[in-house]
Amino acid sequence: MGFVVKKGFDIGLAGRPAPTIVDLPPSETAAVYPLELAEMKQRLLVAEGDRVRRGAVLMEDKANPAFKLRAPQGGRIASITRGHRRFVEQILVEVDPSAAPEPFTAYTPADTLTADRDAVLAQLTTTGLLALIRQRPFTRTADPAAHPKAILVNGMNTAPFQVDAELVAAAAPTALQAGLDLMTCLTDGPVHLCLGENAGATLKGMQRVAQHMFSGPHPAGNSSVHIARIDPLRINDVVWIVKAVDLVQIGRLFLDGTLPATRIVSLGGPGVRPAACGHYRICMGGNLAPLLQDTLTDDAVRVIDGDVLAGTAITPQHHLRFCQSSISVVPADRARHFLGWTTPGLWQRSFSRLFLSSWLPGRNDWPLGTNIHGEERAMVLTGHYDKVMPLNIMVDFLVRAVLAGDTDEAIALGILETDPEDFALCDVICPSKMNVQEIIRKGLRLIEEEGI
Amino acid sequence: MKPLLKLHDRIRPLFKQGAPFHVFKPVFDAADHFAFTPPDETQHGAHVRDAIDIKRVMMTVIYALLPCFFFGVWNAGYQYNMAHAIAGADFLDHILRGLIIVMPIILVSYAVGGFWEVLFACARRHPINEGLLVSGFLFPLILPPSIPLWQVAVGITFGIVIGKEIFGGTGMNVVNPALLSRAFLFFAYAKSMTGNVWIAARGDMAVDAVTGATPLGILAAMPDGLTVADAIASGQISFMRMFLGVIPGSIGATSALACLLGAFVLLATGVASWRIMLACVLGLLSAATLATLFGDSPMAQIPPHYHLAAGGFAFGAVFMATDPVSGAATKAGKWIYGFLIGALVIIIRVLNAGFPEGVMLAILFMNVMAPLIDSFVVDHHIRRRRQRA
Repeated sequence: MGFVVKKGFDIGLAGRPAPTIVDLPPSETAAVYPLELAEMKQRLLVAEGDRVRRGAVLMEDKANPAFKLRAPQGGRIASITRGHRRFVEQILVEVDPSAAPEPFTAYTPADTLTADRDAVLAQLTTTGLLALIRQRPFTRTADPAAHPKAILVNGMNTAPFQVDAELVAAAAPTALQAGLDLMTCLTDGPVHLCLGENAGATLKGMQRVAQHMFSGPHPAGNSSVHIARIDPLRINDVVWIVKAVDLVQIGRLFLDGTLPATRIVSLGGPGVRPAACGHYRICMGGNLAPLLQDTLTDDAVRVIDGDVLAGTAITPQHHLRFCQSSISVVPADRARHFLGWTTPGLWQRSFSRLFLSSWLPGRNDWPLGTNIHGEERAMVLTGHYDKVMPLNIMVDFLVRAVLAGDTDEAIALGILETDPEDFALCDVICPSKMNVQEIIRKGLRLIEEEGI
Repeated sequence: MKPLLKLHDRIRPLFKQGAPFHVFKPVFDAADHFAFTPPDETQHGAHVRDAIDIKRVMMTVIYALLPCFFFGVWNAGYQYNMAHAIAGADFLDHILRGLIIVMPIILVSYAVGGFWEVLFACARRHPINEGLLVSGFLFPLILPPSIPLWQVAVGITFGIVIGKEIFGGTGMNVVNPALLSRAFLFFAYAKSMTGNVWIAARGDMAVDAVTGATPLGILAAMPDGLTVADAIASGQISFMRMFLGVIPGSIGATSALACLLGAFVLLATGVASWRIMLACVLGLLSAATLATLFGDSPMAQIPPHYHLAAGGFAFGAVFMATDPVSGAATKAGKWIYGFLIGALVIIIRVLNAGFPEGVMLAILFMNVMAPLIDSFVVDHHIRRRRQRA
């Protein structure tokens, strides 16, 4: 069945990752960043100098001791970095390739179809891979006690420079099918596989799930849009969402009986040399510096975990994060333009029709950088945001309710059906340069803390 | 432009917190960012941003106002030269005379408005807002050309200070500051805003009532026994002249054609809401049609489309009603808001002989009602969401 999303905006940034996979040499170090799993209450179980195997426990969640954070690679713990309020920020492992991985229960593809829900959840929880399955509302790690009415698997990538799900699936079709089969064991409801126009034979060939085709500009690939169109969230409903590329990792865990040692990530953006834009098979937790040191166009760039719209800025010396499947790089742009408010605007990208470029045929190679292109101004309720919001949400009034701390109104206006990433385009097109994602994130956090 | 940028960089430290001129930081920032786009990078949220900013939006409104401005300059000069029966005056004479009449009004409006904006920006440490560029330009265009300059200063002061700054500046105001300025003058100095004020006159010579009257003024004070059809047949009221705007009236608001050119710019660029403009027209036409059916006063009897070109309606519907800060924000709200503005214009014109021109009051009234309309629309949205859940 096909869904057409009309509202949205494709920026058309330069640096699309090519559909090729390059194998990177093994990394000498590997790291985990426990703060990435924001909900975890940290209990550190290793010390500097300890030798660990791949899959050995590094840390567990005090609130739910079954949930463990495990070593992405075997070796010796080189350092443990603590930061704000003594939270562990980074655990660095010197990789020892000879160390054997920690074994987990291995399944045959046939087993994954008939697996026991509790056993699957137990394995996902103890390996930490449960964090790849997100629960709505609030987009938090799936709660094993919850019974989702459906699981939505996202096999799309409309945000700039997300990893190509088709490419990853084609590299490990049995793992993806096993992952999908496992998902059917986790819910009494349906498992939906949401695919975009660029889905190929592998994704379309997946069995035993309901396939849905979505077309249209970004955010057609966002899970909130898929939920709203396929099976909207009602009061007290819970759904789980998982990216198809993450499901591949889950499938590999269950088929191999070990934590996957590698994954495929995309590298793209105007800050990457065009020849280097592509996909790379990289060690879990591996150091990104060797990859980034000679592929960037310039030293003054911003490296982003995730996509350009909703991702997190990281340093180029960073290691691959646990949930990360794409690396985007944009140039740092502090350029000042003379009388910028009155230039014809042939070289400026805008969703509005105030620039000459908006009247010319679309380009796909905008080399946008990090410049804000303006100053923050008072919020004006214009209905402007609604043009890039395919959900049935009145963005202006939702933002206003959150700013006023009126959580009741925010819930009534549908904030629970959304995720901050759905408002990324509002950030982009706002003439007042508001940070709408940030506002919605704070609103959701406030509601989560206060309870509905 | 490198030397200028270097100069800015050299004097910037003087305006830092604790430096001698830190009070004037908003002024420096405004000048700096007027000359060069700011160098700021994204810190939160989306890492890349659209090139649009409020400066560009406001400048587009200024561009859209230029046809009205140029026509207004010519018309002010033309009406002056006609009224004073200056023989042999040609196009250039009209323009020069118009500039002499209009430019002081605009300069006073910008200077005094700018003074208040800067004062509040420095005192409250908020950036100087570009909204002033538009308000300070809109206000002179809706004034009679004979307005005394001190009244321009008082009017813009009221509009900027009471209409905008005490609410927190651009974006926080309830009503349109330019319209509020005019309304203040209208009620405080009625003599300068009504009657034979629509043609600038030399001090020693009063323009006689017949030449100086606007078409709406003629209709409002129609002698008994004369019908609308007579007035139209005799050429006292001509649709074409009203549409082109070659009539006495507010400086920039007489020509519906110039307003249409402005509307084209605003709609093509998407700066103004087409829903509000269209709803204003529909509201006006529906109410005027009803008036022709049931009313018997001269004002009720003119054909509905005359109302479109008459008075300040075109200017109000294109430039004033569409102000996103004071107008309705929801889609349905925009339709209701615009429609009621159009309808109110007719109600005021037809039912109240004291105010032959109702556009200003209609828009100000609906500015005040806009949040209420939006609130209804949002409540309806929430109710529908609940029913679905």
